Amino acid sequence: MRADRIFCDLPASALQSFETIKYATAYPKGAVLFVEGQAPRGIFVLCKGRVKLSICASDGKTLILKIAEPGEVLGLSATVSGKPYELTAETIDPCQVNFVKREDFLRFLREHSDACFKVAEQLSEKYNNACHEVRSLGLSHSAGEKLAKLLLEWSSKNGEAAKQEPRLKLALTHEEIAQMIGTSRETVTRLFADLKKRQIVQAKGSTLVIRNKSALRLLATNG
Amino acid sequence: MASAIQNSCIECVSRSDRLFCDLPAETLGAFNRIKTVSAFSRGSILFREGTPARGIFLLCEGKARLSVCSESGKRLTLQIVGPGEVVGLSAALSGTPYEVTAEILEDAQVAIVRRKDLLEFLHDYREACLQVVHLLSEDLHVAYDRVRSVGLGRTRRPRVAHLN
Repeated sequence: MRADRIFCDLPASALQSFETIKYATAYPKGAVLFVEGQAPRGIFVLCKGRVKLSICASDGKTLILKIAEPGEVLGLSATVSGKPYELTAETIDPCQVNFVKREDFLRFLREHSDACFKVAEQLSEKYNNACHEVRSLGLSHSAGEKLAKLLLEWSSKNGEAAKQEPRLKLALTHEEIAQMIGTSRETVTRLFADLKKRQIVQAKGSTLVIRNKSALRLLATNG
Repeated sequence: MASAIQNSCIECVSRSDRLFCDLPAETLGAFNRIKTVSAFSRGSILFREGTPARGIFLLCEGKARLSVCSESGKRLTLQIVGPGEVVGLSAALSGTPYEVTAEILEDAQVAIVRRKDLLEFLHDYREACLQVVHLLSEDLHVAYDRVRSVGLGRTRRPRVAHLN
């Protein structure tokens, strides 16, 4: 399984050690792994399935930060620092997760510096993503710009980037996309309708085809 | 008041208060050997967003501003860092371009460590590796807070009633 890759290039002793501290669990779709603000119990290594990571305001307004894929370690910064979980993690597929209790994880890191290094790498990646989000949310002018950026990002996965007309599977509802870019569902629906009308994208079932990549890129840079 | 550059980590009086600097003597000695210390005046740029990560910068004295920039040149501050804090760490570790621009706000004394030397140092000194993990977690918390304030217009996490 992919997720074990984070800890799988480690020496046998580290792997054995990890085996003894992890709890393999299955979660159905819609399960909440942890809630923003909760004291950190430990990390959740995502092995299979995807998890929605979000931040919530007291008035209920939600911002989806990202969709975590297998291989990602959730609750990492909180578990390391002891500060409350920063995000709420909710499964959007049936998931398989390896849970490791905080004290076990910290001891594991102290004893295995290779694992420590891998964790540092993953934290770096998350930091990179967060900076990207700050730039995207704080500096993009319009929802249209942010949506175009998001579609370009999604269409560059799974080897689609090089294609003239990349495809992406829309895994989120318009409401969830709105929560990712900080706008309303109505705006997202309107924007999609506009993109389709201008033949920049085309919907084929739940698959979206980018017909005009350069037009989309233009939208992503100046709204 | 101009003060002489504090060159030696071993003799530095501030070290026990600072997360990164609070390392065992031998480790600190090794770090001391791989760093070079320079003075930077207000307005200097330590590194620019998007450029290849050459190394890390530890602020011995002074303050710096970390910011991100849009294509149109609009700038947004992520964080202000002070003495004892390290910048450029995540980029230097992962070998990706710097995610932010670091600009000196107050005349600073900066310890610079090249990427290659840092990686070797972390390989040889395990406790430093764990220290780095702690530093990165703190950086990430700050970044999330910024995402929160920029995305939702709030700066504090809501208090959550204890579940179960």
